[in-house]
Formats: sequence, C-alpha cells, structure tokens
Amino acid sequence: MTAALFVPCYVDQFYPHVAVAALTVLERLGVQVDVPEGAACCGQPSANAGFGRDGHSTIERFVDVYARYERIIVLSGSCAVHVRLHAGEVVAHGGRSDDAGAHVAERTTEFCSYLHDEIGVGLVALLGAKFDGCAAVHIGCHGLRGLGLAKPSELQEQPFDKVRALLGTVRGLELVDLARPDECCGFGGTFSVGEPAVSVKMGRDRLRDFTSHDTQAVVSTDMSCLMHLDGLARRERLRLPMYHVAEVLAGTARAR
Amino acid sequence: MTRRAVELPVLAPHDPVDHAAAAAAFNADVARTDWHDEALWFVRVKRDRAAAAVPEWEALRARASAIKEHALTHLDEYLVQFESNALANGMRVHWARDADEHNRIVHGILDRAGSQRLVKSKSMLTEECGLNPYLEARGIEVIDTDLGERIVQLRREGPSHIVLPAIHLKKEEVGDTFHEHLGTPAGLSDPTALAGAAREHLRERFLAADATLTGMNFAVAETGGFVVCTNEGNADLGMVLAPIHIASVGIEKIIPRVEDLAVFLRLLARSGTGQAVTVYSSHVHGPRSGQELHIVLVDNGRTKQLAREEFWTSLKCIRCGACMNTCPVYRRSGGHSYGFTVPGPIGSVLTPGLDLEKYAALPFASTLCGSCTAVCPVKIDLDGQLFRWRQRVVQAGHVSAAKSVAMKSSVRLFNHPRLFRLAGALARRGLRILPRPLARLAARPWARARELPAPPAQSFRAWYRKNRPGGDR
Amino acid sequence: MSAESVSARDAILAAVRAARPPSVARPESLRPVHQEESGLSRLDAFTAAATAAGATVTLAPRKDVPRFVASATEGAITLLSFAAGVTSTMSPHGDAHSLSALDVLVSESSLGVAENGAVWIATSDTVLRGALFLAARVVIVVREEDLVDDLHQAYERIDVRSHSFGVFVSGPSKTADIEQSLVIGAHGPKALTLVVVRADEPVNP
Repeated sequence: MTAALFVPCYVDQFYPHVAVAALTVLERLGVQVDVPEGAACCGQPSANAGFGRDGHSTIERFVDVYARYERIIVLSGSCAVHVRLHAGEVVAHGGRSDDAGAHVAERTTEFCSYLHDEIGVGLVALLGAKFDGCAAVHIGCHGLRGLGLAKPSELQEQPFDKVRALLGTVRGLELVDLARPDECCGFGGTFSVGEPAVSVKMGRDRLRDFTSHDTQAVVSTDMSCLMHLDGLARRERLRLPMYHVAEVLAGTARAR
Repeated sequence: MTRRAVELPVLAPHDPVDHAAAAAAFNADVARTDWHDEALWFVRVKRDRAAAAVPEWEALRARASAIKEHALTHLDEYLVQFESNALANGMRVHWARDADEHNRIVHGILDRAGSQRLVKSKSMLTEECGLNPYLEARGIEVIDTDLGERIVQLRREGPSHIVLPAIHLKKEEVGDTFHEHLGTPAGLSDPTALAGAAREHLRERFLAADATLTGMNFAVAETGGFVVCTNEGNADLGMVLAPIHIASVGIEKIIPRVEDLAVFLRLLARSGTGQAVTVYSSHVHGPRSGQELHIVLVDNGRTKQLAREEFWTSLKCIRCGACMNTCPVYRRSGGHSYGFTVPGPIGSVLTPGLDLEKYAALPFASTLCGSCTAVCPVKIDLDGQLFRWRQRVVQAGHVSAAKSVAMKSSVRLFNHPRLFRLAGALARRGLRILPRPLARLAARPWARARELPAPPAQSFRAWYRKNRPGGDR
Repeated sequence: MSAESVSARDAILAAVRAARPPSVARPESLRPVHQEESGLSRLDAFTAAATAAGATVTLAPRKDVPRFVASATEGAITLLSFAAGVTSTMSPHGDAHSLSALDVLVSESSLGVAENGAVWIATSDTVLRGALFLAARVVIVVREEDLVDDLHQAYERIDVRSHSFGVFVSGPSKTADIEQSLVIGAHGPKALTLVVVRADEPVNP
C-alpha cells in the first residue's frame, strides 16, 4: 500500500522542515509514502472564506491527484476536515470516476490520527524521541472537533486524547494542563485578517495560558495555528518555541 | 382591529452590521474585554460542571434534537393541535405573520382593555419585533421586569445576551443608572443593594400593572399549555397580578408532548447558567379566574428559515445562550457587536435569513472552531451553518471587491503548481530581502500585531525534489 | 378572533406546510437508557440539589412537622397557610394584590425532584399562586415518599392539566444580572425552606 502525504501550501512554503519531519517519521515507521505534485491546496481557505464555488476546482484537482492512493495523510487537521467533508461533492469528469471524490474523502486522514489509529502508539514509541522540558499541547479546533483527535471539553464522554497519547511516548516531555484546554487560538484563516482585533486578542489569551503554566514549548497539530501564535509571540518578544507534533516525534524539536 | 395610517419604524435601518469594527472598539479596553471574557467563561465552566453531573447528558442532547426535528417537520399539525387545546383551555389565540402584525395585535388587546401599564418579562421575540418603542409611541408605559432587561431599558440599550442581558455592564455603571433613574445613592454599586432597589421599584410596577406580557420557553401541543422559566419570579408576578396576560411566542417553540418537557427542562438551565433547573418553571394551562389570556403565535421569518434546507435546524434553538458563553469571539466582542437581539453563533445563523445584506458580516465573525456546536443542547450544527451562510453571502455579492479578487486569484494560484511555486519563491525572497517594516506593510493587517513567519531558503517541494529524486511527482 | 388574524393563521399554516422539511420520526423513548447510579440516596440527592439552589432543607419526623414549620416561620406577623395543621394569621380573598406584605407562605407539595431540588405545586387558587411569589419567605412541606429521581419520573406522576397553574420551585428567587453576582431574593421570596417529612419506615433502620 502506498500512502500519500499532503503538505498544505503554507507548510510547503513557510515550514518545509515540518514536512521533512513528518516524512521522516512516516518513513522510519515503514510507511511507503509519496508526496505527489499537482495539488498545492485542498480548497479550504477559499471555501471557509465563502468562495467554495470558486475553490471547487481546487478540491477537484486534489481529488484527481490523490484518488489513486489508499491513504491520504494530511499534515493539518483543518485541511483534513475540509477534504473529508467536501471531497465527496466532486463529481465525475474526464478521467475521473464517479466515486473518486467519495473515495478520497473516506481515505483522508490527518497525521496524528494516522499514527495513533493505524500505526499504533506502541510502534511510535520505537521512534525513541526525546524532549527535555514542559510543553503545552494545542490541538487545532478542526482536528479536535472535526476529526476527533481528542474529547472536546464540551462533550460529556469518556476522555481520550490521541495527540497526548503520541506525545506520551516522548522521553523527558512533560505536558502541562492549561486553564482552558481547548480554547481556539483565533487564527481561523481569513478571520485572522478580517477580524484582526478579536483574532489577536484570542491569540494573546492563548499565549497567556501557555506562559502562566511555565510552558517551555508549544506543540500543535496545525502549523496554521502556530503561524498565528508564533507571529504574536515573536512580536511580543516572548521566547516560546512552537513545534508540530511531527517535529517532536522526529526528534528535531528543542525546549526553550 | 384598526390599522394606523402612519406606522413608526420598528426595525433598525438597513445599514450593514460591521462586526469587525464594533469588535475592535470593544477590544480597545483590554481590561474590560478580559473581564467580559472571564465572566462568560465562568458560566461555561458552570455549565460543564452541571452537564458532567448528568451521566446521560449526550443521550439527552440527542433526544432533544430529535424531538425538535420531529416537531419542526410536523409543525403545521402541532400548531393546529396547540391552538385547539389552548382555546379549550380558555385562552385566546392570535397569529402574526411579522413583527408589525404582532405589535398591532398586542396593542389592539391593550387598547381594547384600556390598559396603560404593561409589565413584561423577558421575551427575545418582542425585542426582535421592536414592541417596546411601538407601544411607547402609543402612550403605553412598558416596563421590562427582568433585572438585566430593566437595566438596559433604563439605559436605552438593547440586551447584549439573551440570558444575561446586562452582562456587558459593570456594577458601577448599573449604580450610575439606578442613581439617575431610581434615586439610589450616588456611588452605590453593591449588587445586593442595587438588586434590592430594583425589587422595590419593580414591585410597585407589578402591583400597578394592568397588563403583562411574557414569552414562552415551551408551548405544548398535546395540552395547549406553555412553560415559562425564570429565576427572578418576575414572569409569575406579572401573570398572577395583571388582569390581562399576553404570551408571545415564535411558532418554532412548539413541542409535541408534556413528557418532552422533562428532556428540555433538564437541558435548558444546565446549558444556560449551570443551574440544575431554573428557580421557577411555571406551567400555564389557562387564565386565572377573571383574567384574559392571549397567545400570539408569531412567524416573522421563521417559515422562511424552515424552508431553507441548509438552515432549518437552526429553529431547534431553545435560547439557552450556551453558544454565546462558549464562543471565543462573542466573549471578546460583546453582544452589541452583532447588531441583533440574538447575538453570538445562533444569532449569526438566524440573522442572514432575515436580511442577508445587513447581516452579511456575521457568518464571518467566527473562527469555525465548532465549540458552539459541541455545547448546543439541541445539537444545531452551528459552525456548519455559518460555513454555508458564508457561501450564500459571497454568491449574493455581499463581499468586498478586494477580498473577492484576492480569493479568486489565490484559487488560480493553487490550481497552477508552477505559478504557485514561482509566487512562493518570490514571496519568500521578498520576505527575506525586504526591510522588515516594508514587509509588514505589505502583509497588513496580519502584521500589525504579528510577525511574519521567518522565510526558509527553499520550499518543501524543492527539498523533496532534491532529496527524494525517485519520489512520485 | 378578528378576520385579519384568521387570514394570518391560514397564511402561516400554508407557509409552514410549504416549508416542511422531510419528516423526522419522533424518538421512541425519551428516557435515556444509560442511567447510572449516582450512589446518593434519593433524599440525599434532593437535599444536596435543593441546598445548592439556595433552599434550606430540614428533615422532620411526621409527628414533628408542625414544630419544624413553627420554627421555620418564627417571627412572621402575616402568615398564610395551605398546609394541614398550620394556622393562617390572615384570610385574603380573591385577588393577589393584598399579599404584597405577606411575611410567610406555608404550603404543601405533592412531589419533589431529587436531581434538581425542585418541588411541584399545582393550583387554580389565585391566592396560593400569588403568595408563592409575593411572600417574603416560603415554607413548603413535602413527603420523602413523594420524591422522584428526575424530571422524567416527575412528569409521569403529575397532570399539568389538572390546574390552570403548576410550578416547579427550586430555591428562593434569585438574580445574577449584575456582574454575575448572585443575589437571593430578586422579585419573589428571599428564602425557601423545605420541610421533608421522613418516611415512617426508614430504608436502613
């Protein structure tokens, strides 16, 4: 089985080391993985901005490129949710079959989900990652509530947390309990520029929750959240390194 | 009932709501924003505790949702059943297609009875209909008796929250308002003392009232009765003292059976305030002896929303306010920034259906974090509906030209890998070689408060081509 | 009903029919299936919930109820009673307006709900109904054997149509509308005392 790794546009352009880390982790775990070219985006940014129609060609492209894979591992919770919810709307056209969209929607997963559900924490532990320090976990809201990466604080169900389970394999890593475990960081795609006042306030409040718990690093499932949080932290001259889970598992993350 | 020749405008003008600007103004006072956020978060925490104490919480939510969906998909039958049972209970039933008709009906009832002094308990519907100014313009004294509503009424403001109408105000501001209007000592700001002053002031009004108006939390088709929930007892004082009782209700508030009340009353207060139940859950199945009891069933856009395949489930709402308390945007922008009686996530899915252009900004006043959907006791997919309203807003052209150009060109970019690589390379280089202030200027408004990512030398794609030459293209 | 509202009725019903989404079936059971035992007895749960709602709960053996009520109504000058064995100091008639200076109402409830500390009172009597909200203090007597676990059981037991008015009362009236500060005694009673009459034969003697 060949899996595909989808590297979202902003990760490709701004955080190539995160994609390298993810690829390294998957390869070390024995996953045969391709990073096919031809689809730079899943269509989520335009759809969330209300331009779903205009962005439809983008997700069509995504379906065309990824339809031949058994597993599509997306390096972002929010992109993964978008594909899972909307790839099924793509209809047959040209060489594209009737069920290509549904096939892609169904087989799309997110990096942490994939490691937890299909590789297993036991194998992930064999990566032998180390991290000396205290970190806060920030699960992107779409991954949290849309993919079920952890039990959201609103729901009254049995607690579980796939991201913490993965990070539990990392030696030396201590995870802090935040005052608001899953409050949104305020990025929200175009929300970050359309509603700058609230977006910035939300991000600063999130940072305050991190720093008031002696956090030495932030670990997230989504680089889009981190682009926003890290941008705010650096402007405030806050030394708070931020990493994707893949970097921690690959052993390339360091505490402050 | 006679039609008046000149009707006063009851709804706000057509000016589009600028949520971002109102939110920016709200955030100018950081300490106050923090205080507002914390106050509402505390309610959310109380809700979590109350919900956790009910082992079958998620099953209750699922049942509440199913009952509402069933009721809404058989609404005509249940409305007719409710009407006939209410009539049999000795109530009078009126129907209003819109806000104006509702206001005329209410005024007509008061006018015929010669009522001059109306005490009201909380009714978001009458806020939505602009009833108070309508009646005041016709010489009727209208007193809102819910403490929070009375506070904002004295200040000539609208409520900023459907359950906590004065949550945006500090006790000192309430003290000033009461000093001015109720004659409390200047500087008095102790909540107990202020509430005591309001109690005395309003007790007089209750005793002097010649009519009362309440909302309904639930109207029960099976019995033709209704339930009103309050903590203060204000609805009950009005109902037990005034010779005329008018109960206004949106048609979506009908539930089929008495046993359904158990499901909804178990969820309502726990979701809204974290109480196990409100202090009073009053069941009315007929007028007191000698009392006139009128029910006004109001559409005002609800049948239009019911017809919208993508949005009809928003009518399941039981007005608990939980989506406001949990919404990270609402908590940091305040209820008034939404420009409508019902703010927050539920307001942002109800308003575009009333006036898409005016409320075009509201579906975008969200990060789509989904907390509202997870907290909603009747499982309305609020974030999904916000997403779908965004598509409608853009398709209707209620979006700035700049944003439109930006989104469309980004789509073009994403669909042309080579172009995307080129643009990415240029942007990365630009970020690296431009002086920082200039780069920030180019990236406004992102960079007003945030640094841009440090641009790497090469994209992942470039790295991949070099390091995994056999990798699939 | 005016001609205008008849046509509004038809218009609204027609609009509802035209708008009706595909039928969703009524859920078969409303009672959640995964009831877990809380570990608390019904009485303990009721007491805890009512106390959390701001009520004072006193447990009284049957023979001592009058004594407990007397102690709960101490100092009252105007007292109105609808409870057996407790005498009113006034006899209002007809209208509730005369009750505004009422010190204490004593009444009986036919049912208490353990999950939320509420007691049910149904009446078509305007005086009782008015006194529930106008009295400064309210004392309600409920029998331990009339406690139920939750609202599902409560609605199985009560008939909401038997009277023009019925109310679940949980605690004294209250507001938190000023800065979320809890103030007891908003418009209605400032205190609620629940006298729970112990069942004659305790479960664990």
